[in-house]
Amino acid sequence: MSVTVSTTVNGDSVDFVCAPDETLLDALRGRLGLTGAKEGCGTGDCGACSVTLNGRLVCSCLVLAVEAEGQEIATVEGMAAGETLHPLQRAFIDHAALQCGICTPGILVAAKALLEKTPDPSDEEVRYWLAGNLCRCTGYDKIVRAVQAAAAEMRRA
Amino acid sequence: MYANEYLTGEAELAEYVRPRSLEEALAIAGRGAKPLAGCTDLFPATDRPALGGALLDLTGVEGLSGITRTDRGWRIGAVTRWAEVAGAALPPAFDGLRAAAREVGAIQIQNAGTVGGNLCNASPAADGVPPLLTLDARVELASAAGRREMALAEFVTGPRRTALAEGEILTAVIVPEPAGRGAFLKLGARSSLVISIVMAAGRIDVAGGRVAEAAFSVGACSPVAVRLPALEAALAGLPVAEAADRVEAGLVVPALSALSDLRAEAGYRAEASVVLIRRLVAGLTGGAA
Amino acid sequence: MPDTLPFPPRMGSNAGQPLSRRDGPLKVTGAATFAADNHPEGMLYAVPATAAIARGRVTGMNVAAARAHPGVVEVYTPANRPPLMHDPDEKLGLFGMRMEALQNDSVRYAGQPIAFVVAETLEAATEGAALLAPEYAAEPARVTAETGERYTPERVGFGGPLSVGAGDIEAGLAAAAHRLETRFETPDQYHNAMEPHALVAQWDGDKLTLDTPNQAIVMACGLFAAYFGIPAENIHLRSPFLGGGFGSKAVPTGAQILTILAARELGRPVKLALTRQQMFGPVGHRARTWQTLRMGLDGAGKLTALHHHSTGATSSFDDFIEPAAAASRTLYASPAILTTHDGIRLDTGTPGAMRAPGEASGSAALEVAIDEAAEVCGMNPLAFRLANYAEVEPITGKPYSSKALRECYEAGAKAFGWASRPLAPRQMRDEAGMLTGWGMGTAVFHCPMFPASAEAVIRADGTAVIRTSGADMGQGAWTALAQIGAAALGLDPDQVEFESGHSHLPDAGVAGGSGHTASAGQALHNAGEDAVARLAELASTDPASPLYGTGNAGVLARRGRLYARDDESRSESYAEILARAGKPQVEGTGKGARDPASAETYALQAHGAVFAEVKVDPELGQMRVSRMIGAFAAGRIINPKLARSQYLGGMIWGLSFALHEEAIHDRRTGRIVNADFAGYHVPVNADVPEMEAIMIHEDDPHVNVLGVKGVGEIGITGSVGAVANAIWHATGFRPHRFPVRIEDVLPSLS
Repeated sequence: MSVTVSTTVNGDSVDFVCAPDETLLDALRGRLGLTGAKEGCGTGDCGACSVTLNGRLVCSCLVLAVEAEGQEIATVEGMAAGETLHPLQRAFIDHAALQCGICTPGILVAAKALLEKTPDPSDEEVRYWLAGNLCRCTGYDKIVRAVQAAAAEMRRA
Repeated sequence: MYANEYLTGEAELAEYVRPRSLEEALAIAGRGAKPLAGCTDLFPATDRPALGGALLDLTGVEGLSGITRTDRGWRIGAVTRWAEVAGAALPPAFDGLRAAAREVGAIQIQNAGTVGGNLCNASPAADGVPPLLTLDARVELASAAGRREMALAEFVTGPRRTALAEGEILTAVIVPEPAGRGAFLKLGARSSLVISIVMAAGRIDVAGGRVAEAAFSVGACSPVAVRLPALEAALAGLPVAEAADRVEAGLVVPALSALSDLRAEAGYRAEASVVLIRRLVAGLTGGAA
Repeated sequence: MPDTLPFPPRMGSNAGQPLSRRDGPLKVTGAATFAADNHPEGMLYAVPATAAIARGRVTGMNVAAARAHPGVVEVYTPANRPPLMHDPDEKLGLFGMRMEALQNDSVRYAGQPIAFVVAETLEAATEGAALLAPEYAAEPARVTAETGERYTPERVGFGGPLSVGAGDIEAGLAAAAHRLETRFETPDQYHNAMEPHALVAQWDGDKLTLDTPNQAIVMACGLFAAYFGIPAENIHLRSPFLGGGFGSKAVPTGAQILTILAARELGRPVKLALTRQQMFGPVGHRARTWQTLRMGLDGAGKLTALHHHSTGATSSFDDFIEPAAAASRTLYASPAILTTHDGIRLDTGTPGAMRAPGEASGSAALEVAIDEAAEVCGMNPLAFRLANYAEVEPITGKPYSSKALRECYEAGAKAFGWASRPLAPRQMRDEAGMLTGWGMGTAVFHCPMFPASAEAVIRADGTAVIRTSGADMGQGAWTALAQIGAAALGLDPDQVEFESGHSHLPDAGVAGGSGHTASAGQALHNAGEDAVARLAELASTDPASPLYGTGNAGVLARRGRLYARDDESRSESYAEILARAGKPQVEGTGKGARDPASAETYALQAHGAVFAEVKVDPELGQMRVSRMIGAFAAGRIINPKLARSQYLGGMIWGLSFALHEEAIHDRRTGRIVNADFAGYHVPVNADVPEMEAIMIHEDDPHVNVLGVKGVGEIGITGSVGAVANAIWHATGFRPHRFPVRIEDVLPSLS
């Protein structure tokens, strides 16, 4: 059986058809061609698939695609405004806070959710907020620096 | 997708249903659909890749979400997410529960996982159980046949086993107006995103410089989280300054029947439980252990 | 910009600059396409069914049930697997490993592929694989040192010698004032790159396109081609981005071969993406070691003998023995050094190279043993290391091509505040009452190079394109290699297009062994110089050029112009030279490889010193690393920003080795009980403190023309020991097995 889901992705209204037991991650990647979110584990233990659902940061590998009905989804593809990168995206490049880049989309989405809630986080808050996003390469400390730099820039704006 | 047709019992059960009313949800549950409440444990805990059978998503059911104060105390809807618990304005007795909410996986899990889901999955390491035990929480269960209520301590019967009957849904957790202040400590091999080696929750009500009431629980040590009645009795009535020193292995360890597994050995778990409890008592009575 | 800046000594102005990574914008926007992001039209999904026993045979599978599942297209088992042109049980070349491609019904380890299901959807393929419900004739699993078969391998690592030494160990021990024998265990660790192994195969006649992350793109084509009897050139392997490799993404594995086979048989593209759980077994790991160090020390704290023996685990059917004892060959001076190895065969997948193979496990043991030796002699661990500093390579007597280890010790110790460290353990507590300890370790990694080639083309507009099949798995190859190529061409990196990451390019060799920048970089450097020489030839022989008569050795390339070496007023732009010559472009080629003469003459090693602070809960034994500083000397640094990432990443791997990572086998079933990210712990962000990596410059004219040693792996090597030694300093407990467990530390606390 397939189900039609009507949702909003990065501000655009989208309808897609999926199986009832299909994950939101698979629907985003396979059906909508939004491959920014990655599958790192499929069990909610790595955060590479992080997206927001009505502003809530979730692992899309643990969300059924059908749960997205009527909800607003935001992925890494929606972060930049056209050619203009989000301050977090720029800060990650400037601070070398990404290496292989597989965990990066999830970490950026997670960091954006943090700064929306807490514009001036402590390092400790950043480290714990991002504890659900594994980076194997591993750029943890630089990621904290990048988030803080972007936060400072966003507070000035 | 819409569920009112299931009330007649005639429509073929769809593979995924997200009803709005409890009545519909119970009708669907009665037909064998698998209840979902956040899905964070659905794939990790499902043996088979295909979920098999109909899925009943409870997160849209009116009245199952949110925390409210009632004449019987506090009512935590079953599909209240852990992030909501962590941020809720609750009396200090809930401080342990709120702290535990911040330890349920990482933010992504706290934003999706629910109180009811945590209890129904009944993992021995479920972070929510020990603090709820110290709050004397009760669970409210409903099915098409009616409603019942029982103590949380009776609801969780074993690892991944509960008293939930076929077709029954956990609708809420009821916490009778609690006194005092609560706290929670978790010991894991990582700083976060970790399954507990041991966790401990405590609640102490102080009156006139003495422990008026004490409630303590240890989780992840035994098949089911346990309360510590011997310790609680020993603490009751003690001057607060003496409470932490009163914590000793003999009052904690016998209640645990601690287990060994790949995360830790039983002996360590037992020892660590005592340390965590002592620190909780010290914190809750204002001293340092 | 003025054209009259002084010429830099050897490299162009852009190598050495901390450029941000060129692939950054693609990666932060989600636009970077990794292998599993490809969804060609008509694609099928493949899922391997894996063995639940560790040894025995598959006696039955419900193939009919799997076939009957809606969406399942084909189920391959040993009974119907089409033939391959190369036997999966025969090794291929130096790096190829024996694999499971359904050649028979035997099971050699838990997690081994035993069937292969292809379906219209991933869900259908996954369910089909589950429906197979295999039955087994199981034999007892051998997954412990006691049950495994002890043997003497022919080689260790990739063709390395079993035993290396010089001097008389027993005499050295006999003459010693203090003797020390100490044993260590290191666990099975799994690479766990964040990107699961994925492959999308598409055939067009006998031409094959593969989208798959690979660390040795051209070599891999040769290996893949052998199984299908096609020329390697028929394969177009595209690997623009690797989501981490760490050694596990270089050689083909059975599931990949089966995916390609299925795509050919079914006439449709097929995708394979291993689950996290499936990455525990068939794609390599760092195997367990059991190590013994015997040391003799004289009254002044100098080594009189150092014997390092390592027993490494491998599979029952192939050989990869961790060359762990090699760490002791080069680091400390001793009149007698012996490094030896043997092996144990277990019912596991075959191990392989994992970030710092050999040195990571070996230096973990060596650095703790060295601290124990310092303790026996009553010496500060840094003073002890300096007392045993190797001025020349101890076994061979060769000089080091460069060695700024002393400077690393000094800079690291100063930044860390080492001088105020109390000698005895358990002397420090922080304000929260945590036992606090400081430890150090010496980092070392060799500097291999792999044969590589490249081409460089200067175009009519004065820009250039450089080409080599480099692999960027996060280390920054796209950026550092482009900087090297641009420098050789006398251009800014912005003016240089870099074609890389697929197999229809000159072979960049292996991105491994920390040797990619040196190897592919040297090829690009030579290609760039070759292209410039051809351009110079045009100008020098053209009477209309201001450079007429300079000869092609008489010019220098800078900022898109050639200058007469002895007269900077004579210059001409690349575009002008090409325009007048009526040529659309000039092409150069270059190769990179180790100069055998320098390898013969010099010891080639990168070095470093890592300092760590650890806090231990005195009641619970919980350990947290609270500070870590490394200082490294690895020759010339092409891009300090990206090299720093490599150092810090390596140090965190060291922290992880010391405190977190371990795959645990069930002794009865042989299965790994923590084969996922919930159970197999790598550090999370909250486990990692603020860190620093200090770069010590080395000008090394011998290691290669670029002076580059490599930075990808060395960070792990000193770090494991630094953390373990800090635990000792905090608690008085000396770790001898990794990861250090709470239960190990606890008895020393009460």
